Amino acid sequence: MKILIIEDEQELQQSIQKYLAYQGFICETATDYLKGLEKLDQYDYDCVVVDINLPNGSGLEIVKILREIGSKSGIIIISARNALEDKLKGLELGSDDYLTKPFHLSELNARIHAIVRRRNFGGNKIISFNEIALNPEAQLVSVEGKPVELTEKEYQLLEYFIANRGRVLTKAAIAAHVWGDEYEKVGQYDFIYTHIKNLRKKMMEAGAGDYVKTVHGIGYRFND
Amino acid sequence: MRLLTKTTLYFLLAMMVLLTIAGFLLFGQFNKQLNERADKELMYEELQWVNYLEASTFNGSRFLLQTPELLIYPTDKAVTQFPQLSTTYSNKSNAQIPFRELNDVVNINGTGYQIVIRKSQEQKLALVTNIITIVLLVFVGLLIAILIFNWIISKRLWKPFQNSLSKIRNMGLPQVATVHFEQTGTKEFTELNASLNTMVTKIHSDYETMKQFTEDAAHEMQTPLAVAQTKLELLLQDSNLTSPQTEAIVQATTALNRLSKLNQSLLLLAKIENQQYEATGKINLVEIAQKYLRLFDEIIKEKKLSLETNFSESFEVKLHPFLADSLVSNLIGNAIKYNVDGGRLIIKNDLNKFWIDNTSAAGAINPQMLFKRFGSLSQTKNNSTGLGLAIVKRIADTHQLSISYRFENAMHSFCLRKEE
Repeated sequence: MKILIIEDEQELQQSIQKYLAYQGFICETATDYLKGLEKLDQYDYDCVVVDINLPNGSGLEIVKILREIGSKSGIIIISARNALEDKLKGLELGSDDYLTKPFHLSELNARIHAIVRRRNFGGNKIISFNEIALNPEAQLVSVEGKPVELTEKEYQLLEYFIANRGRVLTKAAIAAHVWGDEYEKVGQYDFIYTHIKNLRKKMMEAGAGDYVKTVHGIGYRFND
Repeated sequence: MRLLTKTTLYFLLAMMVLLTIAGFLLFGQFNKQLNERADKELMYEELQWVNYLEASTFNGSRFLLQTPELLIYPTDKAVTQFPQLSTTYSNKSNAQIPFRELNDVVNINGTGYQIVIRKSQEQKLALVTNIITIVLLVFVGLLIAILIFNWIISKRLWKPFQNSLSKIRNMGLPQVATVHFEQTGTKEFTELNASLNTMVTKIHSDYETMKQFTEDAAHEMQTPLAVAQTKLELLLQDSNLTSPQTEAIVQATTALNRLSKLNQSLLLLAKIENQQYEATGKINLVEIAQKYLRLFDEIIKEKKLSLETNFSESFEVKLHPFLADSLVSNLIGNAIKYNVDGGRLIIKNDLNKFWIDNTSAAGAINPQMLFKRFGSLSQTKNNSTGLGLAIVKRIADTHQLSISYRFENAMHSFCLRKEE
């Protein structure tokens, strides 16, 4: 899958590229508005990650152009602006998602996965990892074909883990993904432990391997 | 006191002095004229009497005549060159009646005669009363006229001023650019409006600059934060790291996250102060509270809090939806965050008040410090920005709400009250 990252902050661009490449995406980059348009003119991308404030133009303009030419690419805006109006404007112009800086790379990755899958109209939408299969539309999980009963949060956790397989995920990043930013107002991540414990138990009882590894003092990692 | 009332009072005061002076002058003038006329009559009368005396004393007889108004008798006094005229008063009745008196000594056929002729000037008394009446009438007339004119003038002439005033009163910072003070038919008001326009333009540009600066500063800060955070996240993936190293990375990430939240909270405070969140309609905070209670449901269960709600009425406030969320989530979030395991959380309301009570390990907090920026920070151990309650206070203050804190029955109690 091909991703274009249009971001003028080189360091951030490199981080995103490095993380996404590890998750199996082919990443190309552009540092300003014109170069971004040039790349988009030459190739088709599965997803475009675009910053709003770019040299020589606005990322919103790129979103507008992409939708005007009927591009099927997924679009995710990353911006330092947190204002509701900016988010609404971006979504109105046809972007699929909006992520405010600073963000967790694991979050960006999970969202790109979701967008690409949603936009993959005719194709296979099932997420699979070894013996585990997820159907995102129905939020159903099966192990070797046998369905597993998961709560909504447990499902979200599993999908997030699989998208970020092999990565160390901090508790903060996991909590922010599954429970949203508002949960920071209540101030603690301890409760995610219970959910992960339950998820692990259910998956192992259904015959799946124990893929969720605790990384002491940090969080969790999902891998073989 | 209204400007017009003031000018009217000063005007009337001046009129009082002027009319008194005018009254005196008028009296003086009339007095002089009356005297002159009386004097002429007296002189004429004297002439008549002299002619009569000359004719009747021709044969050497002496003459003496006395009536209340006339006295003629022979005298040895020296002949006066001119008749003497003076005003005397008689005390006949209660009132002193003025008299004009002619005194003359004439020589008639060799005999000196003293002639005294008096004429009553009773009309003079009437004159004073008349003048006072006229002056009073003029004064009352002026007063009524002025009051009527003022009423009309204040309606008409001050209209542009009143218009400008109501515009200034209803002016909010965000819409300052749309306010325009138009030209009027009055030079002073046109000048005032022109100055107001200049001022409004200046305020608007200052406001825009400040708004832009605050936002830009906040956003510019988010980008390096994003760089640092992503770098740390990548670094965390390195399998060669030792445990203390990864712990340090996580701590740095937490600190960065807190910095970012702090930045966003400060930006939010600035935006509330700049009135950038305009209320679009009424929002029922009960619904918002229920939304957040659903969202925080898991942690409420996790902490085994006993939640007691009593939403009997709706609590409607004119608020931007984002601010309504911020207000409620901060209050409920705090009530959960600082609660103890197995503690209580009570949320209730009536039409005008909204209470959030919670148990906590901490004792009473100084209410003076509580709502200040970073005021409660010293007591928190969680990753708090210390701005949550400052935001709550700011939102309340700018939306006809008041927030108060009490420590009662070992419970922290926050009360949101509508101010009419």
